[in-house]
Amino acid sequence: MMLQLAGALCAIALGTTEPATVESTVIFADAIYTSTGSVIENGAVTVVDGKITAITPGKTPGDDDVHVGAITAGMIDLSARLVRGPDTVEQTQEITPEMRVEHAIDWFDAEWGRQAESGVTTVLLSPQDQNVVSGLSVAVKTAGVPELVKRAVKRDACLRGAMGRQPSNGNHPAFRRPTDFFSRRPTTRMGVEWEWRKAFYDAAQARAAGEEATAGARGILDVLDGKRPLMIQAWATQDIRTAVFFKEEMAMEGFGELTLILDAAAEAWREPELLVRSKAAIILPPLPDFGRADDGAFMALSTAKKLVEAGVPVALSSHGAKADRDRLAMQGALARRGGLSLEEALAAVTITPAQMIGIADRVGSLEVGKDADLALWNGEPFQATSRVVGTVIDGVLLVDPRNQ
Amino acid sequence: MNMHCFQSIRRTGAVLALAAFAPFVAADGKMVIKAGKVITLAGESIENGTIVVENGRITAIGTDVQAPWDAEVLEYPGLVAFPGFVEAITNYGMDRSNENVDVAPFLDVRDSIDPVNFYFENSLRAGVTTLNVQHAANCVIGANGHIVKPVGMTVEEMSVKPGAGLVLSASPKGGKSAATQAQALRGAFSDLRDYLEDVVQEKKDGKDYARREALYQGREPDEETSKGRAMEGSAWKVEGLELVPRWEIDEKQAPMLRLVEGKTSAFFYCRSPKDVSIAISVAEQNGFLARTTLVLEPSCWKAADVIAERGLPVILDATLVHIETDPLTGEEIETFVPGVFAEKGVRFALRSETALNQSLWFQAARCVGYGMTREQAIAAVTTTPAELLGLGGRVGSLAAGKDANVVLFSGDPLSVTSKVEYVVIEGNLVYDRSTDVRMRHVETGEQPENTAPADAEEFDPHPEDDGDGEEEAEEDEDEPAEDKDN
Repeated sequence: MMLQLAGALCAIALGTTEPATVESTVIFADAIYTSTGSVIENGAVTVVDGKITAITPGKTPGDDDVHVGAITAGMIDLSARLVRGPDTVEQTQEITPEMRVEHAIDWFDAEWGRQAESGVTTVLLSPQDQNVVSGLSVAVKTAGVPELVKRAVKRDACLRGAMGRQPSNGNHPAFRRPTDFFSRRPTTRMGVEWEWRKAFYDAAQARAAGEEATAGARGILDVLDGKRPLMIQAWATQDIRTAVFFKEEMAMEGFGELTLILDAAAEAWREPELLVRSKAAIILPPLPDFGRADDGAFMALSTAKKLVEAGVPVALSSHGAKADRDRLAMQGALARRGGLSLEEALAAVTITPAQMIGIADRVGSLEVGKDADLALWNGEPFQATSRVVGTVIDGVLLVDPRNQ
Repeated sequence: MNMHCFQSIRRTGAVLALAAFAPFVAADGKMVIKAGKVITLAGESIENGTIVVENGRITAIGTDVQAPWDAEVLEYPGLVAFPGFVEAITNYGMDRSNENVDVAPFLDVRDSIDPVNFYFENSLRAGVTTLNVQHAANCVIGANGHIVKPVGMTVEEMSVKPGAGLVLSASPKGGKSAATQAQALRGAFSDLRDYLEDVVQEKKDGKDYARREALYQGREPDEETSKGRAMEGSAWKVEGLELVPRWEIDEKQAPMLRLVEGKTSAFFYCRSPKDVSIAISVAEQNGFLARTTLVLEPSCWKAADVIAERGLPVILDATLVHIETDPLTGEEIETFVPGVFAEKGVRFALRSETALNQSLWFQAARCVGYGMTREQAIAAVTTTPAELLGLGGRVGSLAAGKDANVVLFSGDPLSVTSKVEYVVIEGNLVYDRSTDVRMRHVETGEQPENTAPADAEEFDPHPEDDGDGEEEAEEDEDEPAEDKDN
C-alpha cells in the first residue's frame, strides 16, 4: 500500500511531462459524471491531442487499460493561491489594481504536484488580501509546460480585493510612536470601505472629467465596464453586505455595473436573497470545525445547500489550505453531508467555478472538444470511502491509477 | 437503576437538557430496538433485526426473537443499527491532557476527567460510546487511565472500567533528549527495584519504616493487602517480598509493581521508529511486554516489521498518511500507515480527529478509500480497540451478553451522507439528533435558545486611560508592521 508517487510529483513540479501526443488515450470507468447533468455507466473517455474527442457508453476495458470507479471533470479551485505570502501583494499602496499576480508565480513549487495529484486541474491564483484592492488574478492549469502563456487558461481573469479586517491588519495610526511606512489608512473596517469608495469614485470621476486614466484607474474602470468580475473576500455578513451595497452604490452613481464574486463568504447562508438581488456568485472556504471561520464569521454545514436552493452560483474552494491533499474533494463530500446532491457538489467544483470566471468554454465539464482535464476516482466521487487516484491534464495522464 | 438512568439522561448536557425529552426506558429496564438493518460485527448482518435489552445488556438478537411483552419498543425501520465506536486512546476530556512530573504512575485520570467537557458531548453525537481516557506523552511514566462512556455527570457514572492501564513514553518531550528519556525510563524501574530491596531489607532488619509511612499516608490494610506475597512475573524478582504486606508498599511505587507483575496494561507512546525498540526492550526487561500496546505516530510504520515479529498490537495516529520529503531531492513519498500494519498482520486500532464531521466512522471510511477492506477498517474502530482494552466481551459488537451500546445511523455508517440519529448506551437512549440543538446550530446556523453571542464584550469608552496615570503598554490595535507580512 505504499504510494510511490514521488516520480510523478517530481515530474509535474519540474514540468518535464511529455507534451500531449496525437495518439489517443482511452480511460474506462464504471461511471462518468459529465457535469452537464448526465451520468454514463460503464463508459470510456477518449482523448486525442489534449482534447476530449469522445465519451462512449457501454465500453468494456481490457486488462491493461486504465479503468477506474468514476471519472469527473478535473476540479477547479478559485481560491487556491499556490503562490502565497507577502510576495503576492504589493504593499507599498493599498490600492494596486494594476498588479498582476501572474508575475509572482513560481512554477517549480512542489505544491503544483500536490494539487494535480488531488484532482485539481485548474486554479485561480490571486494576491494575498493584505491590500484593499490587490490586483489581477490569473487562471492556470496545475501541470504542463512551466510557462505562463502555455499554462494560463485566462489571464486577468478578475480583479481581486478584500472587505473586512484583513487589509487593515498591520497598519496603525501615527500615534505615540514614530511614523513609519504602515502609519496609513486603513486601520479599521470602515477605513477599508473608505479606500474602496475613494478608489472607485476617483477613477470614475476622473473619466467623467475627461482625464486620461492611470494604470491603476484602468484596472478599476475595466471592472466598472464589466470587462471582468470583481472578486472580493468577505467572510462575515457585515462584509458581504458592504460588498453588495458597494456594487449597488456604483450602479446608482452611474459608474457602472459590477459583476460580483464573493470569496470566503462563510456567512453567505444568512441572507441568500441579498445575494440573489445582487447577482453575486459565491466561493465558500473550507468548512471549519464547529463552524467558526475567520473574521468572526460562522459557516453552517448546510451553507452550500441553502445557496444552491436559492439559486446563487456556488463554488467550493480550499482557500489556500495546504495541509490536506484532498481538501477540495473533501469539501465536496462535506457539502453533500450538508445536503447537496452528488451532482450539485460536482458542479460546485467544476462547471460553476468555470462559469464564474468565464472559462467554461475550455474546462469544467466532460464534453467533446473541451480540454481533457479529468479526475479519476476509485469509487463514488465526494464520498468518505473513495478518493482521487489519478489525474489527466491536457490529455496527459499525470498520476496513473494503475500504480496505486 | 432506572431512576439513576433517567437522571443520567437528563444530565447529559445542554444537548438534551434544552429539549423536552422523554426517556424510552421502561420501568423494569427492558427495551427492544427494531432496525431496518442490524450490523452486528459478530457474524452476518441482519435485515429487519431485533435487539432485546434487559438491564443494560443485550439478551437476544435476530429476526425472530421473542420480545418481552413489557418492554419499551423503539422502531426504526429506516435506520441501520451499529455497535458503538470504541476510541482506543484519547487525551481529551480532562482538565489538562498532561502532567509535568516525569514519573507519575500514582496519579489517576479519574481525578482529571471533566464530565461536562464538550469533548464527551461531541463524541456521543459521533456515535462513540466507549473511550479510553489517558494522559498524553509528556511523562516518562504517566497516570493510570480510565475507560468511560460519554454520558453522566460524575466519573463514577461515566465509568466503564477504572485502572485502564499506565501510559509510558519512549519519546522525549520538548527540551529533553532521547537518551535522557530512555535512561529516565530504565531508571524508574531500577528505582522500583532498589525501593523493593530496601523495604525487604528493612523488614529483615526488624525496622518498621514502611508500615509507619503507610499509616502516615492514611492507608489501611484489607484482607487482600494485609498479606505479603512473593513477587510474580518472570523478568526480574526481588527475593523476600513476601515478608512485606502489600498495603505497606509506597503508593507511589505500587502501580509500578503491578505493572512489572503483569497485572496492569501499558500504553507505550512512540513518536519515531527508533522509539519502538526502546519501548520493546523496556517492556521486555520488566516483564510487561505481553500487556503492552504501542501508541504510534505516523512515521513508526517503519518499525512495522519489528512490531509484527513481537506480535504487539498498536494504536495508530489520526493522521493516516505519512508524508516524507527526501532531504536531497525534495521528492515526497506518501505511505498509507494502517495499510502497512494490515499487510504485516499487526492488530491495529485507529484514533479519531476531534473534528466534528471526522470521527471514527470517518477514519474507517478513509481507510476503505485507500484500499483496505471494509471489515478490516470497521474492526479497527470497534472490535479491535475493544479487545485491546480488555472489553472484548462487553463492547465493540452486538451479541447476546454484551453491553447494549447501539448507534442508529440514517444509512451506511461509513457514508458521508449518513448521520447518527440515536445512540443507546447500556440500554438507555442517551442521544436523539432531533433534540440536539447544538448540532442544529452547526448544520443550519440556527442559534440555540438562551445563548449569548460569542463576542459579547463590554464597550469601553476609554480604553487608553485606566486612571493610574501610567502609560499603557502598546495595544494590539497598533501592531508592529511585521504582521503585515503574514
